[in-house]
Amino acid sequence: MPRVAADQYVSKVRMPEDIDRFWEDTLAETAKIPLEPEVVHDPLRSTERIDVYEVFFTSLDRVRIAGWYATPRDREGKLPGLLQVPGYNMEPPVPKAWANKGYAAFSVAPRGKLRSNRQFNPGYPGLLTYSMVDRNTYSYRGFYMDTCRGVEFLLSRDEVDGERIGVTGHSQGGGLTVSTAALRPEIRAAAAGAPYLCGYMDAIELTDAYPYQEIADYLRMNPDSREQVENTLAYFDGINLAHRITCPIIVSVGLQDSTCPPETGFAMFDAIASADKRMYAYDGHGHDANNHEHGAIVDDFLAKHLRP
Amino acid sequence: MTTLSGEASINFDSYWQDTLDELTALPPAPEVQAIPLRSTDFATAYGVSLTSIGPYRLYAYLSIPRGEGPFPARYYLPRYGSVTDLVPQGTSNSQRREHVTFAICVRGQRLADQPYAAAFPGLLTDGIDDPMGYVYRGIVADCVRGVEYLASRPEVDGARIAAIGNDLAYTTAALCAQVTHLVCTPALLYDTANLARRTSAYPLEEITDYLRLHPEREDAVRHTLSHFDLRRFASRVNATTLLMAGADGSALDAAALAPLIQAMPGEVEVHKAEHSGYKDGRHSEEWLSRRFGMAEASLPAHWRG
Repeated sequence: MPRVAADQYVSKVRMPEDIDRFWEDTLAETAKIPLEPEVVHDPLRSTERIDVYEVFFTSLDRVRIAGWYATPRDREGKLPGLLQVPGYNMEPPVPKAWANKGYAAFSVAPRGKLRSNRQFNPGYPGLLTYSMVDRNTYSYRGFYMDTCRGVEFLLSRDEVDGERIGVTGHSQGGGLTVSTAALRPEIRAAAAGAPYLCGYMDAIELTDAYPYQEIADYLRMNPDSREQVENTLAYFDGINLAHRITCPIIVSVGLQDSTCPPETGFAMFDAIASADKRMYAYDGHGHDANNHEHGAIVDDFLAKHLRP
Repeated sequence: MTTLSGEASINFDSYWQDTLDELTALPPAPEVQAIPLRSTDFATAYGVSLTSIGPYRLYAYLSIPRGEGPFPARYYLPRYGSVTDLVPQGTSNSQRREHVTFAICVRGQRLADQPYAAAFPGLLTDGIDDPMGYVYRGIVADCVRGVEYLASRPEVDGARIAAIGNDLAYTTAALCAQVTHLVCTPALLYDTANLARRTSAYPLEEITDYLRLHPEREDAVRHTLSHFDLRRFASRVNATTLLMAGADGSALDAAALAPLIQAMPGEVEVHKAEHSGYKDGRHSEEWLSRRFGMAEASLPAHWRG
């Protein structure tokens, strides 16, 4: 049977009535925990033009979270802050390229990533389905808070202008861009590429590729848990968080993306509340979502709104 | 003794023969454990533990189709990062219906990170001052151990074993006659020291970072890297090869890789990257399925039609 055009797909994800309350409570619980930032200069990764620091801070459940922070040495006045959020099975990069463009750039390693995995380490595969039957202990509850705390870290820095903070990432980083823009009103611009964590339950019907296949694996072993899984994931689904996004945002998808099906990206995009939103859909591209050319669009978009 | 333009001679052959001899002296001591969570009605998944030089204990994911074999095999070599997947992200899980798949976690990666947990960034320069102490000597050996084990499985068709990945797929094909097919995208181990000067992107930036802090070690670094340059391995690669070159104008485009291609004695097809994971991925899937004599390629739904 031919597939429905990606932009015509109707998501089956249901909106929990208390989703906003759930996240407000989670944010409030996180806010009670002192950030306790530790910032250590790294001479090995620093250059003549860029200072690089290893950063550690405390997040939900008092889990200690790591990150890379990079700032340009030659600067006048305050810098815009940019949060870079990582893909699913990649290591958070040292964000020197963004610092080179004039941003105070923070690349966060949410719980379970290397350097943030001493207290929580479900592994890969594993992260996506960890405690997937309980919204209060599901892996991404803390994971989302870790990225939100990345925004707090930027806000804590004297050199950062708190009125010019953006977020960007690709794949899981695209999904985290959506969740962070939805949960942190300080975000002024967001650029999400090939977003993951949108339409979780749709995705397992649209693709047989990992990482979403982890959910299919879990349900094959635990078929009686399907309703609990659906109920939990609904609280974390980018489609259900997008109504909270009010900042300017751009989204890109590849129409042949087998990792994060474009149908789910369109469904999330349609739900974004911001009037200043634009979708870039690339035919002939998979999970790369035409990064090769789209990167310049992201640069221009962030520069327009954050003014490095 | 072999030389590359502008570089000092090294005992490349003896370096690798000694490494392989060291590996041969160690029994692989495989342990195989079923993984019900990753098994399906068409394939059974296993975790495999093996010993490599050091000695060091490795881990790998093995998937075997249900039904009568032998089956063609896909050996997935790790990309640069801490995670090895059962099958690569974005590829169709249905490949496990008709192929044995094997994906190895080399020393330092998750599931093979005790006692050595690699840092990323950091792995690429770990021990880089000394060819004998460079971590990639062990990693290359780990990959060889993997294909030795894979080829020993009765479910595997020894005439159809493909190594798939970046530089480690290439070195494995060069050092192991069991590899009959190679799908390789060179990334790091080709003229590495000079390549690093042309980019500020990680992981090659690790080399630049290291030499910025330790400029006096540049000759030692170059000497070590010479033992891992794909050009030195090229004459040993007899597998039927699909070489995924960068797009024209990129650092590792077909023109830049010409010395590598010309030195390979086996059949080589060069595919120029199209800046599309879909187009490049589909091309390699279709190439491999044709070479393996499969009725159709294992394509995910979004790559069909």
